[in-house]
Amino acid sequence: MNALTVNHLSFTYPSGTKALDDISLSVQEGQSVAILGSNGAGKSTLLDVLLGWQKSTEVSLYDKPLSSYGRKELGRTLALVPQFEQYNFSFSLLDYVLFGRSPYLSGLGTPSEEDAEIAYQALCDVGLESYAERHITTLSGGEHQLLLLARAIAQQSSMLLLDEPTSALDPANRKRVITILKQLHTKGKTLLFTTHDANLAYDLASHVAMVKKGRLLCYGSKEEVVTTAMLTTLYDTDLTVAQVGTKTLIY
Amino acid sequence: MNARQHYQAERKRRTGLLLGMLGATLLFAFLFLFAGRYPTAGFRFPTDWATNEMTRSIFLRIRLPRIVLALLAGAMLSASGFTFQMLFSNPLVEPGFLGVSQGSAFGAALMIVLGVGSTLLVQLSATFFGLLALLASYLIATRFRFGGWLLRLVLSGIAVSALFSSALGVVKLVAEPTKDLQDITFWMMGGLWNASWSQILSILWVVILSMGILLGYRWKLNLLSLQEKTSFSVGMNPKRDRIILLIVATVGTTVTISITGLIGWVGLITPHLGRKLFGSDSSTSLPGSMILGSFFLLVCDTIGRTVLATEIPIGLLTSFLGAIIFMIILSLKHQEGKA
Repeated sequence: MNALTVNHLSFTYPSGTKALDDISLSVQEGQSVAILGSNGAGKSTLLDVLLGWQKSTEVSLYDKPLSSYGRKELGRTLALVPQFEQYNFSFSLLDYVLFGRSPYLSGLGTPSEEDAEIAYQALCDVGLESYAERHITTLSGGEHQLLLLARAIAQQSSMLLLDEPTSALDPANRKRVITILKQLHTKGKTLLFTTHDANLAYDLASHVAMVKKGRLLCYGSKEEVVTTAMLTTLYDTDLTVAQVGTKTLIY
Repeated sequence: MNARQHYQAERKRRTGLLLGMLGATLLFAFLFLFAGRYPTAGFRFPTDWATNEMTRSIFLRIRLPRIVLALLAGAMLSASGFTFQMLFSNPLVEPGFLGVSQGSAFGAALMIVLGVGSTLLVQLSATFFGLLALLASYLIATRFRFGGWLLRLVLSGIAVSALFSSALGVVKLVAEPTKDLQDITFWMMGGLWNASWSQILSILWVVILSMGILLGYRWKLNLLSLQEKTSFSVGMNPKRDRIILLIVATVGTTVTISITGLIGWVGLITPHLGRKLFGSDSSTSLPGSMILGSFFLLVCDTIGRTVLATEIPIGLLTSFLGAIIFMIILSLKHQEGKA
């Protein structure tokens, strides 16, 4: 089933800057797709449009126009893991992960014990359950990224949108995040993430969309599109795709 | 204990604390009914209640409405301050932030100088100009081409506040010095000495409605303190909800201060205390802050009307005590990372 369809999408900011130009792609349910490109290529704008944060009529989710989704319905379908979240209030980790239950609450309702259990399970999924009562402002950068992931997991949406999920992480935390994302993918979640890291894209994604200056350079299975020639065109620099044992390495 | 039981137990603990604080505040409100300077200074239980009309009048028509107004105004100002802090994701914000207080002060002063004797018109003018300040701050912020949305609102709020301050200065310059200027000065220092049942009834429905709406949003306020894109992604409509809550908090504040005069620090200090006691989750720290706001204003008013033979304006006391409490809170140990 088509989870996401983008049909000739162009997007221009009110300031007049054209960020996306005639992008078309479709994502099947359960796929893991990397949006790969250099800084300023339009990856984050594309993610914003797919989230519904920037308005567009050229995007469909599960064969239904994105613009026809209600706010809560969309929240139950898509969850966002931003690159960074700034907090000025010191919520406990459990309180924060409970925010992911918002699309399931009626009107001005508050979370139930069942929601608390789901949120706690999400903390278990990312390995932060022992910190459930700690304040979020005491977390390290890596734990912080795991927390954002836990909130998105608690949202129980079928699709996760992730903005540069490992860009600010050390190798150990990067490995943890990748492992969790692979587990989520195995469980059937559709993943769509932006990255400028070709190695991450190859490691985590089944399909890769290469975006350059707002245009889609190519889109297909990673084996088809992640080639030395395409990467060199994408980044305007010499890059090599090499096979080292069973691993594919890009340098 | 599993997550469900733990969450249930924590909720029970917080609800118990809320009810305990509410009970204590109401108990103090009852006790403070007997504090005053009639027939002599101090706590006195009236022995001539049944026979003396003056005693009954002082208790039922002067002290009781004053105490009720302190409870209401404290809760409303605290709820508004809390809401502003969450909406702007800044624990140092209060209702005066978007020029609301200065706008209201100008509106009240204008009516006093124009010689309008009606209290209702002073209230309406204070409310109108408070809302006008909010609207001006919002519209000017949309025209700014500098910084993010919150920063633009802060900057336009500073500008609007300064404009109304200077306009207020002009009004004070032309005010008749022996009466109008004194009235304006006392209004700006805040006071509950004019409290009457008719005044309370005139603002009651607006205040109750405002507090009801803010309490209804008590959990969602958490989400509105996050980045807009994040709250959008969890199913909120942050732009619409922010505007609704800003208007509600501003109307509640301006209607309240239209009869109490400017009372600072309640909206800043009590949300801090509330979060210290209940944690940052606004579903309990908002009602907790409101109870603390009521208690704080009740204590300040009781001190203001009993300690000296002459009344101490409540705004002076809330500023004095509020500043001290604020410094103590921020100097406490283990404050790192706690808002």
